[in-house]
Formats: sequence, C-alpha cells, structure tokens
Amino acid sequence: MSKDLHAYLAAFGEEDSEDVIHVSREVDPRGFDVSSVLQHLEDRGDQRVVRFEKALDLNGRPTSFTLVYNLFVTRELCARAIGFSSASAKMPLSLEFSRRETNNIEPEIMGPRHAPVKEVVLTGNAVDIGVVPMFRYHEQDSGHYLTMVAVMKDRDEGFYDVSFCKNMYVDPRKLTVSLQRKLHKHLLNILEKNEERNEETPVALILGHHPALYLAAGALTTFGNDDYETIGGFLEEPLRLTPSETLGTDFLVPADADMIVEGLIPPHSAEIQNPFGEFSRYYQPQVAVPFMRVTAITFRKNCIVQGIFPGHAGHFNLGSIPKEGSLYREIKRVFPGVQAVHLPHSGVGRYSCYVSIKKRREEDGKLVGVVPHVHANQLQFVVVVDDDVDVFNEQDVIWAAVTRARFDEDINFLKGMPRSDRVIIDATVPLNEPFPRKAVVPREALEGCVLEDWISPKPRG
Amino acid sequence: MPVREDIFWVTCPQCGENFYCENELRHGSIKLMCPKCHHRFFASESPKIVG
Repeated sequence: MSKDLHAYLAAFGEEDSEDVIHVSREVDPRGFDVSSVLQHLEDRGDQRVVRFEKALDLNGRPTSFTLVYNLFVTRELCARAIGFSSASAKMPLSLEFSRRETNNIEPEIMGPRHAPVKEVVLTGNAVDIGVVPMFRYHEQDSGHYLTMVAVMKDRDEGFYDVSFCKNMYVDPRKLTVSLQRKLHKHLLNILEKNEERNEETPVALILGHHPALYLAAGALTTFGNDDYETIGGFLEEPLRLTPSETLGTDFLVPADADMIVEGLIPPHSAEIQNPFGEFSRYYQPQVAVPFMRVTAITFRKNCIVQGIFPGHAGHFNLGSIPKEGSLYREIKRVFPGVQAVHLPHSGVGRYSCYVSIKKRREEDGKLVGVVPHVHANQLQFVVVVDDDVDVFNEQDVIWAAVTRARFDEDINFLKGMPRSDRVIIDATVPLNEPFPRKAVVPREALEGCVLEDWISPKPRG
Repeated sequence: MPVREDIFWVTCPQCGENFYCENELRHGSIKLMCPKCHHRFFASESPKIVG
C-alpha cells in the first residue's frame, strides 16, 4: 500500500492515540474557530495533532471533510513523518533531511481509474471552490486561504516543481497564487518563462497528502530538480502519479493526495492579496500576485484537508529543519570542526542561526559565522558557540553570548546587505588568554547516579 | 530588520480600517482591497497615507 495521509494518521490510532485530539464539534474555518483552538492549545503547551471532524465549507455548508493540523508542530513529529527515530530529532534529523534531498526516487504512473484522489471529480460547471473549507487565521487576514503546496511543470525540460504557496479565494473559480519573488523563485521561474511566450501556466494545488510530501517540498533543491522524485526520496518509495483532469494527460498529479485543485494562470495576471499573517508573525503587506482560473477539483470521498497554522511552530519547523542539514553540509566543506546547526523558533525558523564548533584557531568563530549568511539569504543573525553549548537549547546559547563574547570585538556586521546589515556573534571562548572554566557536575558522578534510586516516581494525574 | 518592507499605510475610505501595502501598489492601476469590509479603492482615494 502506498504511503498517504490516511495510513499515516491511522498509525497514530494503533500506537499512540493520546497524541491526537479529535474535535467533534462543528467548526467554521471562515471565522477563527480553527486558529482559536490551535492558539489555546499552543498557549497550554499542548502539541498534539488536531483533527476537526466536522467542518463547514466556504459557502457555510456542512461537509464530509476532516481538517488536520499540527502534523509538523514538533521536531519529533517531523521525524516520525519521514520514518526517522523521534529520539534523534535534533541534528541527526536535520542531517537525514539533507541526505534525503539527494536520494531521488523516480515516481510511478497509474491510470486515473484507481487513483484515490479521483473518487470525486468536479469539472466544467460543477467547479466551485466554495465546496472546500478555506481559512482565516488572523484578525486582519484579507480573505479565506488555502496554505499548502502548488506544483508546476517546466515545459522545456519536463521537471515538476513543488513549493509552498498560499491561495486566497476571489470567486468560485478564481484563486490568487502567492508567487512572491523572495519566496517562490522556482515556481515563478516557470511562470515567467511561460509568460514570455504569452502562454498560460498549468498549476495544481495539493491539499492533503502524507506529511513527508510537504517536508520534501521545503527541501533546498536546485531549479531543474524534479521535486516528485525528491518527494519519493522523503517517502522512501515512488510517489504515485496520475494524469490531471484538465491540464493535459502529460501533466501528472499525486494519485494518493486527498484533494487536488487544478487551474490555469493567465499570462501577466494580477489580483490583490494580503494582509495575511505569515511565518514572520507579522502581516504580509497587500500586494498584486498572479491568479488561477480553477478548472477542476478532485478529492477522496473521505477527504482530509491539511493545514498549517501560519507563524507558529509547525511553520517554523518546515523552514528550519531542511536548512539546518544543508547549512551543516556547507559549513563542513570549509570547516570540518562544525558540530551542529540550529535555526530556532525565536527566529521563526529562518532569521537566526546557532552554530557550534570545535574551535582550533582564534578566528574560527568569526569566519564560520559568515557561511550561513552566504547560503541562506533570509538569515539575519548568526551566533557561533563552542561544542560544550547545545545549539538546540537557546538559554545555553544566550548564556554563551553574554559570558563569552566581547561585544566590542565579537559582534561583527556584513555591511550593505538588503534591508539591514547581517550580524555575526562570535560567542566562543578565546584560545590564547586565560578564561574561566564552566562549572559542571563530574561526569563519573552523574553516570553513577540512577535517579530512580534516589527519588520516588512523580505520581500521575 | 527582515520584516522591514517597502510599504505604505492606507485608510479604507468606507470603513476606516488601516492596513499596509507594498509600494508598487501606490501608483498602480489595480485597486486595493480593504481586509475588513472588502471595499475596492485606489490608493489615491485613501483619506490618509503614511509612508
């Protein structure tokens, strides 16, 4: 059986059903029901997967669709999504991501007759995006959105690109396509090549699939890479594809998706989108983006629509984990002493980076700090620490910064960069001068101490 | 500041909601849309522009 969202969620039922919250009360995603529940859970530190079993569609009618959230909210869940040990969800997970990025597996093609995503097919006059639950999350969001991934095919070279992309409802057959030059370079490249020929661009939205597909969509692949093959690498099996309904039989879509929305983007189209509360936790400004004419909606009868709470933990992990592995590899090329790399949630998984190293020369901390800025242009702030500091423990990193960095020498700037200078803090201990020693409990004493021999277990409940 | 955008603030002439837009929309031919009441208007119709 091929990997899909249903099998993935069913496994929770067998092994750890307490990790999933089932909301049986009807939710109206047009309002703020979904985001209010998710915000309350986050405020309580509750990081379980949430299933909303009864959801209204955009027209306010009850649906048979289930909504699922929080599939990426912890690193352990991201590890689980790719079949990796949740006990290794720090640097080993990031390195595994890095490995999977280059582990392409060719997809399989199947006929539409048996493709689960073709159980219901709406085309022609039956097309109405209002049958889909669409979401408002934040107070000033300008409309109702879908926030998963879009796929386009490069006509010249035949590869598929899959990238995160949000879509705002405009009318029953029209959605915006959020192609921001800063964030969606690959999709935009394909669109602009078609626009140069004054041709429409076929696009398909994938609204529910195995979570490994979405993690793969965040991978740092080069333009020209076939992302369907990368998804296979993350799934560790071929992604099953099937011909689209309206974009041509040579435009393939994931057969095991829960829902696919097909459409065409007219050349040089423009529609207003935003404000929208984004990963930065600020509203993105209103802007003109392309739009798509919706040509088909296909879905499973027991469809699960997947969502991400923008600007919250799952969104941060989708940004950080793929970059950590890639940055580790890049630093390792020039500095073998790198130990770990982390992009913390405080920097929304994109803006700040902590690197630990085994320092050998005095200048190591400053030089290593340049590398992440070169390879991740959203980064603003890099802190380099010694290998006795856990980069996944922010308190540890800030402790190192305030006790080890000499602020007149160890805070450096990359000047003249867009929007703002970039910062490098060298928070490593100086090698060539006396420096205090970190206080620790002796290792032998710690290892010889079995806590259960000293204290009673904490009573449950 | 990564979130420092090239933006300007406008006020919806219908409901008074304030929101911000990318600078490219300031003199463009496309109407803005109020996120609160969905009124469409040109930036030049805003009673107040900041930025």
